[in-house]
Amino acid sequence: MDSLHAIGFYMSSGLSVAGGLAVAFLQGRGRRALALAVAGVGVAGIYTSLSAGFAGVAALVSFAGCALLLAGPSYRAIEPAVSGRWRQIGALAAAALFAALAWSAFRGAFAGPWTGYSPWILGGDGSGASQVGRLLFTHDALSADAVGALVLVALVGATAVWRGRERRP
Amino acid sequence: MNVGLVTVLFVASGLVAVGAFVAVWRRDLSHALAGLPLMFGGAGTAFVGVSRFGAVSSPQVLGQEVAVLLSIVGLAAVALGVGLAGREASR
Repeated sequence: MDSLHAIGFYMSSGLSVAGGLAVAFLQGRGRRALALAVAGVGVAGIYTSLSAGFAGVAALVSFAGCALLLAGPSYRAIEPAVSGRWRQIGALAAAALFAALAWSAFRGAFAGPWTGYSPWILGGDGSGASQVGRLLFTHDALSADAVGALVLVALVGATAVWRGRERRP
Repeated sequence: MNVGLVTVLFVASGLVAVGAFVAVWRRDLSHALAGLPLMFGGAGTAFVGVSRFGAVSSPQVLGQEVAVLLSIVGLAAVALGVGLAGREASR
């Protein structure tokens, strides 16, 4: 990757993360939607700098659509009866998630050539996480897509059933 | 200045974590939906990065295809959530 693409990647990364944080902290629905659109520009820039221009266009359209939905007239606010302590616990869980993912990225098998660490492989007979990940990302990518879509549909169905039961007297 | 797979995975993990943070930080449940496209964007970044730097025996378009799919799923999930919230609020 040449310097121009690297600079674009780092600038887009900063833009996307800053836009995401602005979505959390800005006041006003329009401002938050604008911040989400800015984060979308950053994600699209990341994709484009990684030679995935079409995916960048798709991400840009997706984020713009999400921003329009959240700023549009059909938006309705729903306030849950959840205390602030649970939200703080959730924020700490998000920080723990970042730490876990960053640790996985640092200790993963792909990190060896850059960091000097030995790969984190569970077994040497092809049963390790890196082999499974390579298989899912390359040979069986479409199957992984199908499983992901199935999980999404199942979650949506479970949510619908749960809400239907909740409305019963 | 160089960019490698580890850098991309760090950015992807940051996006996923920021998305999760947005989802839990906003008191308004409808606006917590804004965290979904961020998390999907982070996952797509990881897929694109792996296909860009890690795939050696397959075309790079597989990871890009997953990223496109995740973008569409994120938009659909937000649309579904806003629609459900609107229906619930009108009752």
